[in-house]
Amino acid sequence: MSASLTKAGFWRFLAAVGSSGPPGSRALHVTAAHCKNRAARVRVGKGDRPVTYEQALKPHDIGHRKGWLSQHTGNLKGEDGAADRTVEDAFVRRLMFGTFHGCLANEVVIKRRANLLTVCVVALQKLPPQKFYFLIGYAESLLSHFYKCPVKIDVQTLREKQVYKYL
Amino acid sequence: MAASLTIRKEFCSLARILSGIPYSAPRVLGHCAGDKKWITIRCPFHSSTVFSSTLSPITVTEEPDTLFQKVTVLVKGHDRAVLDSYEYFATMAAKELGISIGKVFEPPKDMERFTLLKSVHIFKKHRVQYEMRTHYRCIELSHLTGSTARVYLEYIQRNLPESVAMQVTKTAMEKIPEHIHEPMWKDEPTEEAHKPGQ
Repeated sequence: MSASLTKAGFWRFLAAVGSSGPPGSRALHVTAAHCKNRAARVRVGKGDRPVTYEQALKPHDIGHRKGWLSQHTGNLKGEDGAADRTVEDAFVRRLMFGTFHGCLANEVVIKRRANLLTVCVVALQKLPPQKFYFLIGYAESLLSHFYKCPVKIDVQTLREKQVYKYL
Repeated sequence: MAASLTIRKEFCSLARILSGIPYSAPRVLGHCAGDKKWITIRCPFHSSTVFSSTLSPITVTEEPDTLFQKVTVLVKGHDRAVLDSYEYFATMAAKELGISIGKVFEPPKDMERFTLLKSVHIFKKHRVQYEMRTHYRCIELSHLTGSTARVYLEYIQRNLPESVAMQVTKTAMEKIPEHIHEPMWKDEPTEEAHKPGQ
């Protein structure tokens, strides 16, 4: 047997040494780095966690089974303004999340058409309608003052979140 | 016509003053009762707007309209289905307006890919790859006048979907300038006749 040890072999040796102690003793468990993809993915669990369609599908399904949450022309070839749109989107999403706190059933969809900014929200019926109308008007006027463009908020309400799967 | 216009203008100014002071309205328009006073206040507004829209003129100028040999509309988007439906809409609009359509084709898509490090710190061997796809659709229209092109393009552009961009290329036709009409060598005999004179 050659005396040289590879890196993985060294760790395996250590692990073997660590685990071969008397029962009840602590062992050394090591594995090589396994950088799994974690972006926009809900980890699989016991099967009791309800998950919507948007959350259940992975990012590689965008364009195939999923739609786009933010629609603008910044990311097309030969078009400008992608970074500005992304920052605006992040701000709008936080504002919506805070204004309709606990009432959002799904992610906010943002559409831009010429100067007009349309924010599409699916909400739960947790508040009385008058409060909803006030929040919609408040958010619309704030956003239109910030971004100096007409802002429309489309709201649809549901009784409860639509569950696609249990993970 | 002019008399009715002046009467309506007076109504408009009256209405503007009265809308600020609603309680004084019944005194001025005494013959109207109940809801009718609001209707009569609103009518001048509406009739004035109607008048202004009908008065928005169709300009008739002496200059001849520009003629376009070809107008190319290139639409770009991320979603092929959206571009399909938009192409159907644009071709139907052109057919209804009587514009002759050249060819409608789909240039190959462009994919912009880039590779980034997966982790915030170290792990150089593990990377993530992203790509952005741009699909195209090209509609060529032939033999249009300037005003037709303007109307059609405005209609098309007002109905452009959200994540779709458009580029328009127009090929205009111009009359050949007069000094190019006749070739130069036809003038030579007259010049030779002039030269000995000089």
